Amino acid sequence: MFVLELIYAGLGALEDYVIYHVVTCLIPAFLLAGAMVSFISKESIIYYLGAAANKLKSFAIASGGSFFVAACSCTVIPVSSGLYYAGSGIGPAFIILWVAPAANILAIVYTGAILGSEMVIVRILSALAMAFLVGWVMSFVFRREEAKRAGTGLDLTLSEGKIVARKDIFLLLLIVVTLLAPNYLIQKGDYLHKILVWAIGMIITAIYAFKVKTKDEIRQWMRETLWFVKMIFPLLLGGVFIVGVIGKLLPQQWVENWLGGSGVFASFLATVIGQIMYMATMTEAPFVHQLMGLGMGKGPALALLLTGPGMSLPNVLAILKVFGFKRGMVYVILITILGTFVGWFTGNFIFS
Amino acid sequence: MKKVEILGMGCAKCNQLESNAKKALAETGVEAEVVHVADLKKIAEYKVLFTPAIVIDGVVKASGKIASVEEIKKWIV
Repeated sequence: MFVLELIYAGLGALEDYVIYHVVTCLIPAFLLAGAMVSFISKESIIYYLGAAANKLKSFAIASGGSFFVAACSCTVIPVSSGLYYAGSGIGPAFIILWVAPAANILAIVYTGAILGSEMVIVRILSALAMAFLVGWVMSFVFRREEAKRAGTGLDLTLSEGKIVARKDIFLLLLIVVTLLAPNYLIQKGDYLHKILVWAIGMIITAIYAFKVKTKDEIRQWMRETLWFVKMIFPLLLGGVFIVGVIGKLLPQQWVENWLGGSGVFASFLATVIGQIMYMATMTEAPFVHQLMGLGMGKGPALALLLTGPGMSLPNVLAILKVFGFKRGMVYVILITILGTFVGWFTGNFIFS
Repeated sequence: MKKVEILGMGCAKCNQLESNAKKALAETGVEAEVVHVADLKKIAEYKVLFTPAIVIDGVVKASGKIASVEEIKKWIV
């Protein structure tokens, strides 16, 4: 029965992409996301954004800040539009809109685990490079409007504060190491060795955490972590199952012909698919992995990884509504052009 | 009558905040109008960047996190 085959394909995807990664990858990843939300002060980042003296600095803060603020995807548009209407430059506002989903920490970690370090490093660097271009182009296209808006500073009641405490930085680093160690220290080891390394990492992290954080802070951290798990894990399970089914249904010929290699059209198609299709957080990595198995080129794969998570048809419509048709359209077209270019460029010159 | 506004675009976090607020009201017996504000322009008027946020009688009490039932109780009495 064909339906049975599809179900097996879905379950197989669950096994490959989720079950195998739950302990060594997903648990530390969720803990890291929870830690970032609890220990890093979003308000301070916004404060420094408002206080930034020049465009380059504000772009850098917006890009870097987005990376560390693993926000709920429904928060990105309000934050971005809130900032814009409070007086931030159009550049930083759209940078946040772009970077937060393209480089959110959970997706990054998971992408590394599924697609390897080369792909994830290129993903991060591409997202950042595109961010600066987005900021610059948006500021340039709307320069007359921006000149009228500038000079008032950010109209938000925020006070200067520490972005993150020193001991928290170390704790965050510990979690990151626990995350990366099982996969990088034990390159050719078996699963049991990975679990051992992971366990040692977790114990050291836990000891340090109990030493420097108060009970309440840890409780808050765990609450945020659990919130991420409850929010994302079911979607991940469902999404990966569907990815497995799609992988079985998609004809290999089609993928090879339209998305294979590193041509401009393949990257363009991948970019547009990413912009239209809704992808639940983290599901872009298994999806792209499946497509690559069916013959998708690395360049187009990267384009899909970048545009998939943050954009979808309903999302694009919301952006058009919130920022106005002109600003929204310039952004969408810009991403299409940049995505296509990045896919083509990396496919031909960066990826091995 | 007090006015409690929940600011958010309708995702799980703001729904949780709204139910916490309703619970706090029920448990304290305070009478209040609970409104869910999803319009971004209105949310921006409160200078709130991080949803979900809770506004009581025009004053932003918390933003960027889900205030607990206990915290909300303290603000409404």
